Amino acid sequence: MFRLGSSLFLAFVWLAESAMAQSAAKPPDAPVTHLITLRAGTLPSGQMAYEMVSHKIRGPDGQESDLTSRYAAGPTIPGPTLVLKEGDTAEVTLEHGIANSAQPVSIHVHGVHYKIDSDGTMKVLNGVADEAAFPGKPYTYKWNAAPGTAGTWMYHDHAFGSPMVGAEDKGLFGTLIVNPASGKIPALIDGKVTEVDLGDVKREFILWMHETTFWGQELNHIIKGGKEIPLWTNPTLGARQGELVRFHVIGIGTAIHTFHLHGHRWIEPGITSAAGTSDTVNIGPISRTSFIVKAGEGVGPGDWHYHCHVVQHMQSGMMGDFRVIE
Amino acid sequence: MKTNHESLWALAAAALILPSSSALAADKDASSEEVIISRAGVLPSAILEMTDEPGKWFKDPKSGNSFVVVKPGEAVLIKMTETNTDHTITSLAWQPGASKFPVDQEKPSNSSVTQTFDKPGLYVFTCKVHPYMLGAVIVDDPQTRGLDLGAELQLVTGAKVPSTSDFAKKLLRTFFVTTTPALWRDYRKPNWEVKLPEVEANLGGKVIKLSDLNFSAPNALLQPQTPGVGEVWVDTQFEGVSGKNKYGTATQIDASNWTIKQKVKGVDTNMNNPHNMWTDTAYRYIYQTEWFDKRLTTFDRASGKVYNTQTVGQNPSHAMSNPLNGMLYVALNGEDRVLKLTPGEYPNAVGSINTGPHSGPHGHHITDDGKYMITPNALASSVSVVDLGSEQMTEIPTGGVIPIAAWSGMGHKAYIANLLGTPPAMLSSLTLIDIEGKKKIKDINIAEDYDPISGTHKGEAYGLGPIQTPVSPDGKYVVTANFLSTTITILDTKTNKVVKSLPCEPGCHGVNFGHKKGGGYYAYVASKFANDLLVVDMDKLDIAGRILLVDPKDSQITANFGMGGQGVLPLPLADPGMLAPTLKLAGTGKLTPEVEAWLQLLTKEQRIGS
Repeated sequence: MFRLGSSLFLAFVWLAESAMAQSAAKPPDAPVTHLITLRAGTLPSGQMAYEMVSHKIRGPDGQESDLTSRYAAGPTIPGPTLVLKEGDTAEVTLEHGIANSAQPVSIHVHGVHYKIDSDGTMKVLNGVADEAAFPGKPYTYKWNAAPGTAGTWMYHDHAFGSPMVGAEDKGLFGTLIVNPASGKIPALIDGKVTEVDLGDVKREFILWMHETTFWGQELNHIIKGGKEIPLWTNPTLGARQGELVRFHVIGIGTAIHTFHLHGHRWIEPGITSAAGTSDTVNIGPISRTSFIVKAGEGVGPGDWHYHCHVVQHMQSGMMGDFRVIE
Repeated sequence: MKTNHESLWALAAAALILPSSSALAADKDASSEEVIISRAGVLPSAILEMTDEPGKWFKDPKSGNSFVVVKPGEAVLIKMTETNTDHTITSLAWQPGASKFPVDQEKPSNSSVTQTFDKPGLYVFTCKVHPYMLGAVIVDDPQTRGLDLGAELQLVTGAKVPSTSDFAKKLLRTFFVTTTPALWRDYRKPNWEVKLPEVEANLGGKVIKLSDLNFSAPNALLQPQTPGVGEVWVDTQFEGVSGKNKYGTATQIDASNWTIKQKVKGVDTNMNNPHNMWTDTAYRYIYQTEWFDKRLTTFDRASGKVYNTQTVGQNPSHAMSNPLNGMLYVALNGEDRVLKLTPGEYPNAVGSINTGPHSGPHGHHITDDGKYMITPNALASSVSVVDLGSEQMTEIPTGGVIPIAAWSGMGHKAYIANLLGTPPAMLSSLTLIDIEGKKKIKDINIAEDYDPISGTHKGEAYGLGPIQTPVSPDGKYVVTANFLSTTITILDTKTNKVVKSLPCEPGCHGVNFGHKKGGGYYAYVASKFANDLLVVDMDKLDIAGRILLVDPKDSQITANFGMGGQGVLPLPLADPGMLAPTLKLAGTGKLTPEVEAWLQLLTKEQRIGS
């Protein structure tokens, strides 16, 4: 760097421009079809949860590749995080694996496009069909991550127990991330709004705020092929100082939460100016935020606390640490 | 607005930094131990879901039981997703020395708890608003014989009892009866059989079988020889109703012949755990609280027709009127206030009276001159005295654990039942309050003749776990239903000593007085886990009747037939001060012929008190 001397600034610009040129020259990944099979089952505690059975992608050339090994074995809360890109489509088959129950179970997804027969609700609600899996009778949903659907979304049951409500409150919920076709997301990095290439994000942390508990998951992109790691309740999230990490914080249930992360600031989706910086976000049921931070930016390593800022929820232990190491 | 240059600059900076961290990761060959810095939190091994379902207030969704068995080091998630109202998750009993104990949520809410258990033994949880909601975690060391219940139990009152003691066995038996509807006392059957599983329990080295706690008793209904006057309303809070997913009815009994007139079920969308009732001066309406909900239902006393169901606040528990002006006061057990409403078909909230921080008033009482209201503050170990004229409130700390019911007697003195006693000296107590002086006079030990280790009780003072505690209309006695000893204690107000202990039913709870035909009073005692109403003759201080609360003609009742007896409202009201406004209406045409006829049956003493 120092050898660049007085032309340091110009070199930066050149670097940036060449990086832009390279990424512009490289054609965006062509849309693919995701062939996903999930199962609704139960954890040893009796809580219900979704489990990944198989995830393959089929390219435009018809070639299939298998991503199943990136997921955790067994059911998890939250359920497997499904990552699509704008332009992708998905065929998601749900299997019924809830022991001693013949009640229907479904997947109702937010954000992406689908026809009415992929709504994941019962006929009493959608007027068309019981769009749910029964024991031995899986159900397949077709999703289209059409342009304009980029964002962090939820999927959850909308049938079990109560045909009008479902059993999302019992653990049947998971995350769908639709990444923008551009592959870039604005973020507040070193105090400035920056278009971050998602390929540079090392880790993604999923936090669901349910009652007075965070249910967590890490999507690790350092491990080749990516790895989803269940982190269960109120976990410690870990990153190295300077890494770009992306948080997805989602609410479920009845409570209104305020998510706060110590020592870090970010911009909310849709904010394009550093004047919109925040470090606390209201999270209601099935509302969410998603943001990228540079771990320890301006503050250094440490166990940076994250928690719900509703006092009663804090008193009930709704908290954890974001551990930033050197 | 950002410029292109700024954006490029930032991107360049990021580009320079990023390769170094990528390189770092690459150097370490991406082995997961080095790459994954996150540490997973606790994964609960079992869950207990708090519900409004009678008996299953802490429900394991796997077994349907109200307890779970886990290993040391494992965690249990207790959550509130199946209930219409707020609760607390509070340790009732735990293992001495267990880390992170006791658990206690200060205020009612819908917050969950994930608790890790390190020490083997029994842990019992309750809700401070609804303290018969019981759930248990048994932390079982697989290396020992039998289910580990521990050598001792630390109680929320501060007392520590050996698990082999009579008190601990009472707690254990009460736990199983409370949480198992099949073990409730059903008077349609010839016997009450309490049979526990043939499971070995390890009490700190001593192995017993749970079935050692089994017992059996004959069921015999008894028709009182002397009729009562008027009618008796009992909240059969646990009865299942066809087409509803919440429980409860109000049962109307004709006191002249002890038959059931009707069961009121409220609106179609549930009457959720009806707990306590009051009426208006002319006895046209019944005001019904829905304790596991937020509502007050007003229905026609004679026909049962519902006029109105309205949201009043968290956990409305008791309702009572001021005899001076008829204003209705509803205690909000899950909040810190009593709501004041106008009487009538559509009560209208006109104010609310704060009872103190985190107080959770339960069974309040209004003096029969209408001057004061006394609230037992279940969540605050205190009693509040409210001057109803100025609405000035004075909170009196009492030291009682879960003060649950209050009743004012002669001379502006009130008796307060402390559900779990007054530590450290009293396992079971009533607190006597000087209302005008706004101070505690003393605590009365109503279990001083009981030995908690051996279980012997040589005298009459044997009342454990007092609930409703009314003073008789003549001021002579206080009658208390005690859930843990399953006794009714009768206290002489002159000496403040227990003069009589009578057996009651499992979960005995609500007590109130009605008129006996020809003079004198009956005390009516309702029980949560039995389907009879006990009738105590206050002249003889003895049981005069056991009335079945099941109505075989009512085909809408689907479960827990006649069970869940809690609030009791005999009409005409027996307290002379409360009766006076109604007596004034006699002959004015404002009372129905039925009510006029009841009043005519009253003796002079019953009208004015003696």
